[in-house]
This record gives sequence, C-alpha cells and structure tokens, in this order.
Amino acid sequence: MASSIEWPLSTSWRWTERAQVSVATPPAERMTDADAAALAQLSEAALVDACLAGRAGAFDLIVERHRRPIYQLCYRFVGNHEDASDLSQDVFLRAFRGLRSFRGGSSLGTWLYRIGVNVCLNRVGASTTLDRATASVDDHPLTDDRSDSPSDLILRKERAGFVRAAIAQLPRKQRATLILRTYHEMTHQEIADVLGTSVGAVKANFFHALGNLKKLLGDM
Amino acid sequence: MRSAGLEPGEDMHLKDEEFVDLADGAAPSEADRRRQEGHLASCAECRQKLAGLRSTLREVAAVDVPEPSPLFWDHFSRRVHDAVGAEARTPVGRAWLPWMFPAAALAALLVFVLLPGAWRSPARTAPSIAVAPPAPPVARETLGDLTDPSLALVGDLSDGAGWEAAHEAGLSPRGSAEHAVTHLNDRELRELQRLLQVELAHASD
Repeated sequence: MASSIEWPLSTSWRWTERAQVSVATPPAERMTDADAAALAQLSEAALVDACLAGRAGAFDLIVERHRRPIYQLCYRFVGNHEDASDLSQDVFLRAFRGLRSFRGGSSLGTWLYRIGVNVCLNRVGASTTLDRATASVDDHPLTDDRSDSPSDLILRKERAGFVRAAIAQLPRKQRATLILRTYHEMTHQEIADVLGTSVGAVKANFFHALGNLKKLLGDM
Repeated sequence: MRSAGLEPGEDMHLKDEEFVDLADGAAPSEADRRRQEGHLASCAECRQKLAGLRSTLREVAAVDVPEPSPLFWDHFSRRVHDAVGAEARTPVGRAWLPWMFPAAALAALLVFVLLPGAWRSPARTAPSIAVAPPAPPVARETLGDLTDPSLALVGDLSDGAGWEAAHEAGLSPRGSAEHAVTHLNDRELRELQRLLQVELAHASD
C-alpha cells in the first residue's frame, strides 16, 4: 500500500537526493592504484572530508584502518565470532550514516569506539552472552597455539572461557569500562568521553568490575 | 585517631580510585605516593585488596581475542562496502519514509492547535452522541430574568440546545483538555513547538 505512493517531489529535491547518493556511495571498484595511494596518505580528518565529498574508496579505507579494533571490541562484548562480525558491520554502517556529525573533537577511533560501545550495549543484554561466550572456547582453531603443550592449551582455553563468561556477567557499564581500559588501553578520560560519564565514575566502575570479576572467577 | 609514627592520612584506608590507579600503574603525586606506600606498609587489608585487584587484572588482560581467518577481513570489508552501498542507493521515495510519520504528526498537531475549529469534525463528535446519555437542554430559567435584550437574544438562540451543540459551537468548558489546547498563549505555543521538535528529533535518530 505504502509502496504505491508516489511523492511529488520537486526537481530540486530529487537533485539533492541524488547528490547525496553519489556522495555516499563508495565505489571502490572504480578506484585506481594512484587514487588508493593518495587516499592512504590522508590524515583521519582529511579522510573523513574525502568521504563526505564522495571520493571513491575513502570510507573503505576508514573501515580497513579501524576494522580490527572495532571487531575486537565487539568480540570482547559478545565472546563469539559471528555476533562480533555482525556488530562490527553495524558499527561501520552507523558510522557511515552519522559521518556528517563527526566534528573531529575526538579522534576517529574514539568516535568509532563510542558508536561500537553503544551498539554493543544496546544489542547485548547483561547476561545474554554467557552461554555463547563459554561455548566459544574452541571456536577458533586458527589461533597460533603451537608453543603450548596440549594440556596447557586446554587449560588456558578453558580458563579464558571462564574469564569471558565472567566478563559477560558484569553490569554493562562495568563491562564497557573494563574492556576499554584493559584491552584497548584507553585512558580514563577517553573512556569517560566514550561512555559520557566522569573520570571518577570510570574509576569506580573499573574498581567494581575488578572486584566482581575476582568473586566470579573465584567461584569458577 | 592517628597511630604513632604515621604521616597525616596514612592511617586511612586507600580509596577505590587509589586502588585503581595503583593496580593500573598510574603515577600519583609525590605526596600521594608517600602516603599510599606508608599506609600499605602498615595495612594488611589494603595490601591484600590491592594484590587481589592486580592478580585479577593480570588474568583478565591475558585473555586474547582469537584472530579470525585471514580471509575474514577482506570478506568483512566487502560486506560493509555492500551494506553501505545498498543504504546509499535507497530510492528517493523511501528515503523520505522515516520523515513521513513525524512530519505528518507535526502537521496534524499544528493544525489542531492553531486552527481551533479544525478538530471539531462531525465524524469525531458522532460517537460521543451515540454513547453519551441524553443531555438535558439548557434551561431558560438558568438565565434568570432576561431584562437585557442581548441576553434575551442569547436565551432564544440557546433555548433547547444541549451540551453536544455547545461543544460543537466551540464552547468547551474551562478546565477541560479541549479548552486548554485551544487557549494556549504565545509562550505555551512556543513550548509546545519546542517539545514537538525534541520528540521529532528523537524519532528521526
């Protein structure tokens, strides 16, 4: 029913919409090696500007530069590859939609982390990932564990599963603070910026996260 | 009460923030460092607490994210590229859809607020006529002695008119929701517009 509605847009509106489409589409296929090399030289701010200007491959390069830390962030929240992959894609899609709102007040990485944390906190309930986090101990045979003996390897993976499961049980802000501080080495101030809170609250969350983990791991 | 031989503040347990900074390896000021070290030297409880936090932090930090397949990253970039491209190619008409409902709601509400007669359609009043009990006619006696000719005219015109007729004529009683909506002053109208814009901004996020 709704799809049959034809909105009588004026010529100028149609032009604007098409212009936005051409700006937004990242046609990497048409990019030459010279273009790619030129893009690779750009700073973060210039890369964002290039993306907003519709330069081919600019957003692809942003994805390429930040995909690993964003994936790792998501993985820390959900504890399994499939969900981490989906969440990461969602993070970049939201970043693309909101790129015009990026003011450069923080680094692009911090801005993406902020989106990532919000995506993860919105998608992941306080205890929904426990089973999958624990079950994912053997998810990744590609990890290089050749230096460990088989028994060490099993024990280490088992313990890592416990730790992931314990982290998955933490209240959301404690979990976010612990992940950003411990694994992404963000300063307390950066975490406060990402979570929209104060440095004091970040430290309190971190303290309680460690205390809760100590109890949880002691019980496992 | 301070124990003998302790510097000021050394007899107080460390604060949560100080535990975090110590476990994190953050460098405190020289005065804080001396006070914290002095306290830790004499307080087994705080020493044990700090050791526990450091141990937990080490164990947590040792858990890696398994590296996905080398093929994953290219596949991932392609997925994001395609998703972004699909989003950007959203048809013109559909690009308007997220705005349609809030815009229509705003337009309807503004018409409702700014044109006091617009909401009094027959379709809206018909159900209340069917449901409401028969309203007594406005008694001529309630007007009292009609010595004033203008009052007499009003009395003649309203004679036999019920509450529904008064409602249709826009005579909503003071204190009712309808009266409140149709009698907003400029400041209240501006506030209503502001609230609507806030709501629309939320809706478009």
